[in-house]
Amino acid sequence: MSVDVVHVDELDRIELQDGFVWRPVRRHFGIRAFGVNAYTPGASGRVIEEHTERLGQEEIYVVLRGRVRFTVDGDEHELGQGQLLYVREPSLGRGAVALTDDAAVLATGGTPGEAFEISNWEFMFPAFPLLAQGRYDEAKQMLEEALEQRPGSPQILYNLACAEALVGEPDGALEHLKAAIEGDEIFREHAREDSDFASIRDDPRFPR
Amino acid sequence: MSAGYEILTLGEVETSPHLGSNLIPIRYLLGYRAAGVNGWRADAGGQLIPPHEEDSGNEELYVVVVGRATFTLGEEQRDAPAGTLVFVPAGVHRTAVAEEDGTILFVVGATVGEAFDGGGWDTFAVADGHRLAGRMDESRAVMQRAMEERPEMWALPYNLACLEALAGNADEAFAALERARELAPAEELQEYLRGDSDLDNIRDDPRFAELLA
Repeated sequence: MSVDVVHVDELDRIELQDGFVWRPVRRHFGIRAFGVNAYTPGASGRVIEEHTERLGQEEIYVVLRGRVRFTVDGDEHELGQGQLLYVREPSLGRGAVALTDDAAVLATGGTPGEAFEISNWEFMFPAFPLLAQGRYDEAKQMLEEALEQRPGSPQILYNLACAEALVGEPDGALEHLKAAIEGDEIFREHAREDSDFASIRDDPRFPR
Repeated sequence: MSAGYEILTLGEVETSPHLGSNLIPIRYLLGYRAAGVNGWRADAGGQLIPPHEEDSGNEELYVVVVGRATFTLGEEQRDAPAGTLVFVPAGVHRTAVAEEDGTILFVVGATVGEAFDGGGWDTFAVADGHRLAGRMDESRAVMQRAMEERPEMWALPYNLACLEALAGNADEAFAALERARELAPAEELQEYLRGDSDLDNIRDDPRFAELLA
């Protein structure tokens, strides 16, 4: 690995469904020792998705530019360039919207006491814009590659099943959906509501 | 503010002098445990990052949050306005100076495949900053808290001894060295004792010779 210098505006732009843009930092540099990414606002003005850290990570969000309104544990805080928010408690809900168009936020996180491992979502997120644009074949291929990197990941299996249902491959979709639910029961519930599965919902093999 | 989260304004945090730079002790202040995170602040012409290599095998990412910096990475110089990310692998010599007043860097570092277990040097920098500002009680309190959290780590009482010796408190320094001696491998400790100029104020004390015996 060698020295590498890049401006946040030069990083890839991966627009995600909630209308925020993921700027992959860790992936750009090939960093393996810690998680780090940047985010800029997309169509919705959101810059950090509303979420909790189910896997027990603590996270630091640094405002690199512009102004941002964070919501954390139900409280609102406006932060500007040079301010950071540290969320120690993984179960606290947090998210942020941009108050200026030029906002950029850097996020870094990890699990105390554990060596860093690349999160499954980093492999999976690049497929989401393709799904949103109806490029199902490309999304499916990307998710198959993600699954090779992270065999057995319930999230990746679930999204692969979505892509397969959308391209009209019911056998693959049903098989992968079943495997996703075996890995994490939460996906049984998701599948009931998910319009991506319209083409296979009436199949007797569809999980109830 | 709830205990589950915290907000820091990097331009307002009191910095700690460290090897000619001004450390913003982010990891220490937050009690962050997942990686090494810190900041550096300088005005135009001031040193941001103390010149060094990471012989520990750390991967490090420097982020220009405010202002503008010039990095020297090995032989190469790079201009880095706010929003620039600079990745430096282990073994590459690096330093940076500020080009604008109030320039702030944010740094993340950790070792591939290892759970983060560092955070000694920055705690010491904070304690040393208190000492230099004449706040010896606060300096001690920082080290005491660290020793309570990591009672097995001999470097902590050893560093406390350095602070006490630098402040001219010989009795306190020897009490701390006694604690270090109980925890440390004898040869390793003696090697440090022989070479450490922080302890020069107490080197001629007969108690020092006993520690080397």
